[in-house]
Amino acid sequence: MDKYSIRRKTPRALPPVGLVIAAVCAALALLTAPQPIAAEEELSAEDRQCLGCHGFAGMDKTLEDGDTLALHVPGEAFARSVHSVFGCAGCHADIDAAAHPPSNKDIKSARDYAVSANAACHGCHGEMFEQWDKGIHAALVRAGNRQAPLCSDCHSPHAVIREAAAQPEQTPCKGCHGEIFTAYLGSMHAAALRSSAESYAPICSGCHSAHDVRPTVLGEGPKAACSGCHAGALEAHRTWLPNAALHFEAVSCPACHSPGAERQVDLLLVDGEDRAISSEQIGVPLLAAAARSDGKGLDALTLWTLLQTFNREGLGGKTVLRGRLEVRTGAQAHQLAGKSQALGDCQTCHSAGSEPFQSVTISLAGPTGQRVRVGADADVLSSVISLDSVSGFYAIGGTRIKFLDILLLAAVFVGLAVPVGHMTMGWIFRRYFLAPAQTGKGGGEQR
Amino acid sequence: MERIYVHPLPVRIWHWTNAVGFVAMILTGLQIRYVGLFDVVSFRMAVSVHNWVGFVLIANFFLWLLYYLFSDRIKVYHPELSPRKHFINSFRQMQYYGYGIFKGDPNPFHVSIYRKFNPLQSMLYQIIMLLLVPIQFYTGILLWDLKGFSAQVDFFGGVRVIDTVHVLIFIFFIAYILIHSYLGALGHTPSAHYKAMLTGYEEVEEEAAAAEPEPEPAGEVRAT
Repeated sequence: MDKYSIRRKTPRALPPVGLVIAAVCAALALLTAPQPIAAEEELSAEDRQCLGCHGFAGMDKTLEDGDTLALHVPGEAFARSVHSVFGCAGCHADIDAAAHPPSNKDIKSARDYAVSANAACHGCHGEMFEQWDKGIHAALVRAGNRQAPLCSDCHSPHAVIREAAAQPEQTPCKGCHGEIFTAYLGSMHAAALRSSAESYAPICSGCHSAHDVRPTVLGEGPKAACSGCHAGALEAHRTWLPNAALHFEAVSCPACHSPGAERQVDLLLVDGEDRAISSEQIGVPLLAAAARSDGKGLDALTLWTLLQTFNREGLGGKTVLRGRLEVRTGAQAHQLAGKSQALGDCQTCHSAGSEPFQSVTISLAGPTGQRVRVGADADVLSSVISLDSVSGFYAIGGTRIKFLDILLLAAVFVGLAVPVGHMTMGWIFRRYFLAPAQTGKGGGEQR
Repeated sequence: MERIYVHPLPVRIWHWTNAVGFVAMILTGLQIRYVGLFDVVSFRMAVSVHNWVGFVLIANFFLWLLYYLFSDRIKVYHPELSPRKHFINSFRQMQYYGYGIFKGDPNPFHVSIYRKFNPLQSMLYQIIMLLLVPIQFYTGILLWDLKGFSAQVDFFGGVRVIDTVHVLIFIFFIAYILIHSYLGALGHTPSAHYKAMLTGYEEVEEEAAAAEPEPEPAGEVRAT
């Protein structure tokens, strides 16, 4: 049986329970409810009737799982919200006033109720809803993630006002992404926003979109957002950065513009034909191989073997690794500093043992589109075995193949040993085997 | 000694430009690849010099190519078509460098206007000029603008493959330049071939020169 409470327990109702409770609520509304304030007076009679019960703070319902579903609607806030013109029935069309509250409405949990109620938003906000529905948040909801945000998690349904979620103080993202939001508050974007009301510096939705939030594993989304405001960035970098376009492709913006961040190389498994993110077929063997590495990370040979397996004939397109230099955490990606503090020293990446190449991950898109990472040994970047498997990522100097260093030393040795050895042989012959008259020479290299 | 004009001016210009350029490419290449170990100039400066000298060398290569394509001197690069003869001559030349030269034996190869390369040089220079140098230039151009040439880079297996090929040839040239410089000092005097590459004239034994009739002098300058 449902248990409703309006500060005190309602006595077990006699049939018809709905009518009895409605009558009690109406009586309470008339006798004990606070007088409606001016804003509430603009609501329709039907809405005021709803608020007669739901306007009481503390009205809630204990659910099957023991959780509590708040049934209280702050009347004044609702009256001032953009939704007030549609009235309660605008969203709660399923409520039959004559049989409300229902004698038995099984709601397993507040989350289940919120998920089912979420569909109501689609009626008026179809475009936004469909954007949300294609994004990572909806994918997580479908996957059963109970923290993934529904419409009502960002937009208080009974108190929503225009542009509220776009205010930095109101940004709902911080509810789940608190660490990232704190890092953002220390960034030059937040500083610019604070310094001027006219600033167009972005908050969360400026880069990640408010509703069409895609997983960053796709890579191009956040970068495209940077380019959206910093349209001349590539040309500006070309004035001093060799192969600037390639750097833009292989290096994430925060890798240089978050100077305090730790960097790493992420090798993303993609389909070589259409560059789509690989996931289903290769996820299992990849994770299994990672598990066998005992936490040491995939070594170059294992990675090469895996790619050979993925690319066996009959398994579809060619799977390749697309390397990218990024920062290690989402928070570090958001602590962007001014350009005067950005890294501009080539040596940071282009010398052996550089910090960015000491941490390597292999990633792929999981079922919900989220990035799934496994660790890899840093040697995968400099092993000769990776010539084929990590063919698409190479930083001159920084990830040079060690075997070639050995060959270089051998070449220098041969280049010096041949003349020295030859001269030594000549000296030995002259010293021990030849008479003085026999030491003539007779022509060597022509060019 | 007879003086034979075996190194025409365009060849000498090409050769010494190449020599200086390759040394510059090797030094800047080492700086780029081993930044932190060699810090003569900044990484960015090394990249810039490496790029510019690379383009000069490419232009220089075409100077060499056009000169030989439009000159009868191209005969110096004509290969020996008889494998047996080539093998025997190569073996004699190796035997000379490895043993005969120490005893004071005469060089089995005699320079002439249209045959200035011994069998070993003939084979090596064809590999270098027609294979290794073009590949090095091509991979260098791809590395210069990887994004612009991304389709070709992907076709050949990615940036790591391109760079590895470039570095392998670079490693070969390091050994080559050291050995080439030494062999250049094995003339009848240590500086004889160096002087010849500056003046154009090789000094050869008159008997040897007389014993090797030229195919067609074709207006070449001979001096004594």
